[in-house]
Amino acid sequence: MTRDFTCIVCPNGCEITVEYEGKNVLSVTGNLCKRGEAYVKQELTDPRRTIASSVAVEGGVLPLASVRLTAPVPKEKIFDVMEEIKKIRLQAPVKAGTVLAADILGLGSDLIVTKTVKAR
Amino acid sequence: MGVLYDAIVIGGGVVGSAIARELTRYRLNCAVLEKNADVCYETSGRNTGVCHGGFAYDIGSLKGRFCVEGNRLMGDLADELGFSFERCGKVLVGFTEWDYNRLLEVIKQGEALGATGLRMIDKEELHRLIPAVEGEFAMLSENSGIIDPFGLTIAYAENAAENGCRYFLDHEVTAIAREGENWKITAGGEEFVTRWVINAAGLSCGKISEMLGIPGYRMIYSKDDYIILDERMGKLVPMPIYTVPSNLYMGIHVTRTTDGNVLLGPSAEDTMNNSWYGVEQKNIDMLYDEAMKIWPHVKRGDYIRTYSGILPKWTDENGRIQDFKIEILDDIAPHAVNLVGIESPGLTASTPIARYVLELMKAREDLQENPDFNPVRQASVRFAKLPEEEQARLIEEDPNWGELVCRCQKVTKAEILRAIHNPLGVNTMVGVKYRTRAMMGRCQGGYCQMRIEQMLEEELGLAPEEVDFNRRNAPALFGKVRDDA
Amino acid sequence: MNIRNVDVLIVGGGPAGLAAAAELHRQGVTDILICEREKQPGGILRQCIHDGFGLTRFGESMSGPEYADRFIREVKEAGIPLITNASVTDITKDRLVTVVTPEGLLKVQARAVVLAMGCRERTRGALAIPGERPAGVYTAGVAQAYMNLYNRMPAKEAVILGSGDIGMIMARRLTLEGVKVKAVYEIMPYAAGLPRNVEQCLNDYGIPLYLSHTVTEIHGDHRLTAVTVSAVDEHLKPIPGTEEKIPCDTLILSVGLLPENELSLGAGVTLDPRTRGAEVSEYYETDVPGIFSAGNVLHVHDLVDFVSMEAEKLARSVTRYLADGLPACGIAVTCDRSVNHTVPMRLSGTEDVMLSLRVSRPGRDVTVRVTQGGREVAAKKMKKALPAEMIQLVLKAEKITGTEDLEVTVS
Repeated sequence: MTRDFTCIVCPNGCEITVEYEGKNVLSVTGNLCKRGEAYVKQELTDPRRTIASSVAVEGGVLPLASVRLTAPVPKEKIFDVMEEIKKIRLQAPVKAGTVLAADILGLGSDLIVTKTVKAR
Repeated sequence: MGVLYDAIVIGGGVVGSAIARELTRYRLNCAVLEKNADVCYETSGRNTGVCHGGFAYDIGSLKGRFCVEGNRLMGDLADELGFSFERCGKVLVGFTEWDYNRLLEVIKQGEALGATGLRMIDKEELHRLIPAVEGEFAMLSENSGIIDPFGLTIAYAENAAENGCRYFLDHEVTAIAREGENWKITAGGEEFVTRWVINAAGLSCGKISEMLGIPGYRMIYSKDDYIILDERMGKLVPMPIYTVPSNLYMGIHVTRTTDGNVLLGPSAEDTMNNSWYGVEQKNIDMLYDEAMKIWPHVKRGDYIRTYSGILPKWTDENGRIQDFKIEILDDIAPHAVNLVGIESPGLTASTPIARYVLELMKAREDLQENPDFNPVRQASVRFAKLPEEEQARLIEEDPNWGELVCRCQKVTKAEILRAIHNPLGVNTMVGVKYRTRAMMGRCQGGYCQMRIEQMLEEELGLAPEEVDFNRRNAPALFGKVRDDA
Repeated sequence: MNIRNVDVLIVGGGPAGLAAAAELHRQGVTDILICEREKQPGGILRQCIHDGFGLTRFGESMSGPEYADRFIREVKEAGIPLITNASVTDITKDRLVTVVTPEGLLKVQARAVVLAMGCRERTRGALAIPGERPAGVYTAGVAQAYMNLYNRMPAKEAVILGSGDIGMIMARRLTLEGVKVKAVYEIMPYAAGLPRNVEQCLNDYGIPLYLSHTVTEIHGDHRLTAVTVSAVDEHLKPIPGTEEKIPCDTLILSVGLLPENELSLGAGVTLDPRTRGAEVSEYYETDVPGIFSAGNVLHVHDLVDFVSMEAEKLARSVTRYLADGLPACGIAVTCDRSVNHTVPMRLSGTEDVMLSLRVSRPGRDVTVRVTQGGREVAAKKMKKALPAEMIQLVLKAEKITGTEDLEVTVS
């Protein structure tokens, strides 16, 4: 069997063709780098994504601090992670880089703040 | 019983607000009932903004008389009320012998109406005045000009409000009944009792006329689509450019706003629908083609917006469009001034119309002058139009003058704040736009609308979903992403 | 009014302006002033909270605010003066700059001016989409600002017109926050944005992308109630009979970015009709001496990494300009219709140059060729070429001779 992928690792967006049998990858073509090969192998067995969102900040110069995951999580868990993000409320000041949830939902990825928000 | 008003004006457009302002010259307890969330949301804010010279109307008509008079008054009005007005002149360009003869007739007609400054110019003079125009010759109307129609309407309304007239926005009139010597008006679910009522309802004039017990006006509407071009093109349109008019239709014109944007329009289609403002693709295409014939500089890359306006017209049984009707029928509807078919040149003629209304009232009742009346409105300051020394002085006085909220039109925070706290109590985003020009520029609010929405929330204590965009119950937003309460 | 003198005034504290300032400082130019009109530096990156920035420039993937913060920190640590809430309102051809700030009206005489104002979004009005004008028609960037900066929800049920990257990123962002994104419509027969965004922003969330479709009418006189969409023919004209009315409360537009060059025009800078940015030499100097331009105000980039790198190159040119002037650039770069545009548009021929370009249409197995008088100066073979992606290739000085024009083609 073959399947075509658009690699999402970098803006090149390589179109990669994978030949496979069950979970056995026979060949990978079309990728410009090794990350593409790793991406499609992962995508065949356990597709994962990172997400970015915001959390509420009280008493800050901005109402929101942006957040993101440090590593991709299984695609089907994205909305579970969103529910966790919605629960979080921070008190200013908030510093970029702060880990808000280590190993979020046991998925092997941390939720970190990506924007510093000073206190009002 | 609640308040007994001396006079209530139905409709806060340019004519209703001009009447309101004239009413406040007398000791009258007056109010305006406006169905929209602001005063220039219909015909008054959706037109070409041309101050007409008064040559295109039937001899002896009110349209012609009030237009000529209004044109003469406009400069003084602009000084008193502080809105943008330029007496820049206007041309009607022609190509053929028929055109030439027609323009000579127009001049004759205009002179009979009392218009001045009308003359034929040759190709050389035409191109000296407007290098970018097409045409073999033209009629020049020296006294024509351009008006900021939002500015004029708001100025009348605010000056009326400053002089004591009350404005009830979002108050659509649903019933009118004669009650003894008074009128009882139901509007926005409230009842108002007044001695005088004035129908200045514009597009709804026929409906209100019937409510007053004066049926029988046949109304048709003319829907006009327009295209707005980037203000950088304004220098190529020093004055409005018209074609030679037929008896019925003024044709597509290329005009300029007082802020430099070029307008192409109107499409002018008869309709029975007086509330649908959709712009149609066929009209956008047609306006492009027609405008290119007289001003071959239209580029689609310069489009910044389209809009549509509707004019109310009343006709006889043969469909012929009639003059302005301004009447008091003492037998049928005493103490009711009925204005029907106030269309173009209503903007130019607004104050003469209002004065005529007052004349009709004074013929029936002695009105006492209001000694406190102040015709001068505290003009809204436009930072972008001030000399640098003045800008620097204002910033020193108040740092809000040094914070530009709208980049395209260079509107400062101080101006936005003033607009939010306007005397009429308008609280929509478009209300801020009409008063300041923020969001009217080429980025169409891409940079500033978030700030303006936030300021409306903060200044007026509104929740995000309570900030309306243009009309009541037209929310800009649906609450918050994250609850931060 | 006092006039302050500086070596370099930078208009805009976004990715281009910050990178230019940091690099100028590294090169030893320290008398700099950055004017940023927003309350915080960082430009559009402040609202681009998604991941994927920095792979080229820093070799790691991060969000927009993190990417901006790298440059903001460097600028602050270097002590480069940066004033926020400061709107430049005028630049003369002699580089006298007027700045409006709450602290007063500033007049700054600069030896060099760096234009780094970025771009703005094309609007509904610019496209003249027919119909009414209800609430709920937003450009993607405005919707993004409301959501990510102002904590405000712009939509419940949305349709997106245009498959630009911000539009697709907003499709995902809205979906994550519970908004129903019904579909994305694109007038061209191919996506405007990057393929990876089609994949991770639309396909991942089951949002359909309809190519060769556009919005032909907007409905609603209060809040938006629906849009009519139509299929278009090969001339991009709507095909009668294909209209479909889609109920929704929000229309998000991602229909193109326009370099914001009103200040440049005021200074007398000539713009290139294709990029709508300044016509620049290989040193990023406009045709007004001492006025330079880089980043999205020069030409719209697909990646912020290239914006930073371009601004850094500009900074090195400005350094040379201040020290001993720049070589004359008399060799024009021309292109045929296969190429949308190139940057720069003029070369000196005395040193190696990185040429940036975009193709007009998507193509497969194509070669970008740069020739001078029929001789090949440079060529790049590509498996695929998309208008969404900026293509770069190096022109070697030794291959350029005389002052004849260079020609760029893609075939």
